[in-house]
Amino acid sequence: MSGRVWWRLAWRNLGRNRKRTLITGAALAFGYLAAVVIVGVSDGIVAEMIDNGTSLLQGQVQVHAPGYLPERSLYATLGGDSGMALSPVLERLRELPGVTGAAPRVLGGGLVSAGSQTSGAVLMGEDPALEPRVSRLMAAIATGRAPEEGTRQVLIGSEMARKLGVGPGSEVVLVAPAADGSLGNDLFTVSGVYRTGVRELDAAYALLPIGTLQSLLALAPGRVHEIALGLSDPWTAAAVADSARAVLAAAGVPADVRSWPRFRPEIADYARLARASNWILIAIVFAMAVFGVANTMLMATFERRREFAVVRALGTTRSGVARTVVYEGLILGAFALVAGALLTAPILVWWHRSPPDMSFLYGGFTMAGALVRPVLRVQYSLEAPLLAAAALLVTAVLAAAYPAWRATRVPPADALSDR
Amino acid sequence: MRGSDTHVTDPTAGDRTTPGPSATAVRTEGLWKIYEQEPAPVEAVRDLSMEVRAGDFVAMAGPSGSGKTTLLNLLGGLTAPTRGRVWVAGRDLTELSGRELARLRLEHIGFVFQAYNLLPVLSAMENAEFTLLLRGLPTAERRERVRTLFREIGLDGLEDRRPGRLSGGQQQRVAVARAVVGEPALILADEPTANLDSATGDALLGVMERLNHERGVTFIFSTHDPRVMERAHRLVHLVDGRIESDVRPSGRGSTA
Repeated sequence: MSGRVWWRLAWRNLGRNRKRTLITGAALAFGYLAAVVIVGVSDGIVAEMIDNGTSLLQGQVQVHAPGYLPERSLYATLGGDSGMALSPVLERLRELPGVTGAAPRVLGGGLVSAGSQTSGAVLMGEDPALEPRVSRLMAAIATGRAPEEGTRQVLIGSEMARKLGVGPGSEVVLVAPAADGSLGNDLFTVSGVYRTGVRELDAAYALLPIGTLQSLLALAPGRVHEIALGLSDPWTAAAVADSARAVLAAAGVPADVRSWPRFRPEIADYARLARASNWILIAIVFAMAVFGVANTMLMATFERRREFAVVRALGTTRSGVARTVVYEGLILGAFALVAGALLTAPILVWWHRSPPDMSFLYGGFTMAGALVRPVLRVQYSLEAPLLAAAALLVTAVLAAAYPAWRATRVPPADALSDR
Repeated sequence: MRGSDTHVTDPTAGDRTTPGPSATAVRTEGLWKIYEQEPAPVEAVRDLSMEVRAGDFVAMAGPSGSGKTTLLNLLGGLTAPTRGRVWVAGRDLTELSGRELARLRLEHIGFVFQAYNLLPVLSAMENAEFTLLLRGLPTAERRERVRTLFREIGLDGLEDRRPGRLSGGQQQRVAVARAVVGEPALILADEPTANLDSATGDALLGVMERLNHERGVTFIFSTHDPRVMERAHRLVHLVDGRIESDVRPSGRGSTA
């Protein structure tokens, strides 16, 4: 019953010095904005890393035959020596929730030569219709076009093209050890050159139509080394991997299914580090706010010293006095939260849609082996705003705690003696 | 000023062994209050024993520093004595916890302060009903009690005004209403007329006299104001923390 009076007093006390209340609330609201945006930018960089580190080539989930990794034996194909019926399995994998695409791949090591120049290469056979749903390598073609199924065409990276001195239309020789023990070799035409910005990638991979590479490596059409899955949300990779395992088990295909944190642990480590840093950043932002708000509230309670003495004299307990000050913090925090959220939401959306491109300052760079474009896109989810909201309210209460304690220490006798 | 005072020591002061009989509002026994401060401790109240009967109208006078305010603090349980005991409403304040003291003040003691001390963020009505709110009385009952009281003391129509929009006299009447509305056994008033002009001060004293007479509320004032002393039923003069004189001027009050 009497609890309401403390809320009422708290509410009205906040209205006594509106400028001060506004400034204090604004400090909390901007703290909220800063925390959410900083986390958003950090999450954006991580999302960019994960995207480039997995979507550029590898996909977010990979399926191999047991024992294929780490040696990457040419003979360890899915379904064994006889291969597997790919289409129904791919179909079922594509139907898994969150899966945007499933693409088969044949992989082999070889040499690419042009004239007197030779470059070691990872030969990757891919399905031009399915691969774009999993990786963005095809979208990185700088000149020329993707190789067409049924042709002897190859797509190479810009570094390899530079080393070999070739471009679209040039002829190169591919040599690779085949599954039948022979040395497969043939003349290919460079259909195009891709440029991802990741030097290692641009120097190493040569992409061929999957059927062409199977033929070069003397592999039957049903034999593939890898099925890569693309996901709409990379953070669901572990769950999708579990589902994929079930699909493959049901299809009778023994498989080693791995999500990206397993085959790109350096990116997963960085993401974890960034996430931990986010919470530290939020803590720092609000720790600074605590002292500012506490200082203001302390001033306000000093000014009301006489009033605290009076209410104590009238029969209020210490806890009643403390409650009114803490409630002031809570109300202030709640309003700051609403203001902060209203301020932050449009900024986040705008920043997400129109991220500032910092490439005029510096070009793209690689971090943990992944390309990061100098585009500061904020990534938002519910987690950071909710955590920042909780931090803001805790901050408001913590900031009120010491002033509240001080208010309870005002002797009731001051009501009479403090003239 | 006080006319032909008959010097009468309060007759109820004889019983020192049975604390808090029903007719006794306040009683002290061997009360000391010493403030430890540099360069030397200050003995604000020294070995003071007194008793105030229920329904009395007592003024405590004395020069500044004589211990009036300290004594009010001790009687109201706002500060603890260094030595001695205080009984209010039959309870020994020195044996109560902070929470129990707060409860006792809430239910049995009203305060009127020299500087009114209304809460500036509350309206006159809300200030007056503050202690009833703390006691958890229903809204309708609170409002009815305050309205009745406001009519009695001439505050009708001012219920929604904040203290900043009330005159000094009006504020002090709200403070009196706040002290009285919970029907405490005792009201301690610290220089209640000090900040008021004579007409307003007289009117306020009239209000308090009427409440004393009609409701039987016990009042203890600390005062320098001759008007208060003139109208008190009992006049206690303090000097250096001790009672120098304790008289009941003839013809005033009926309880002596």
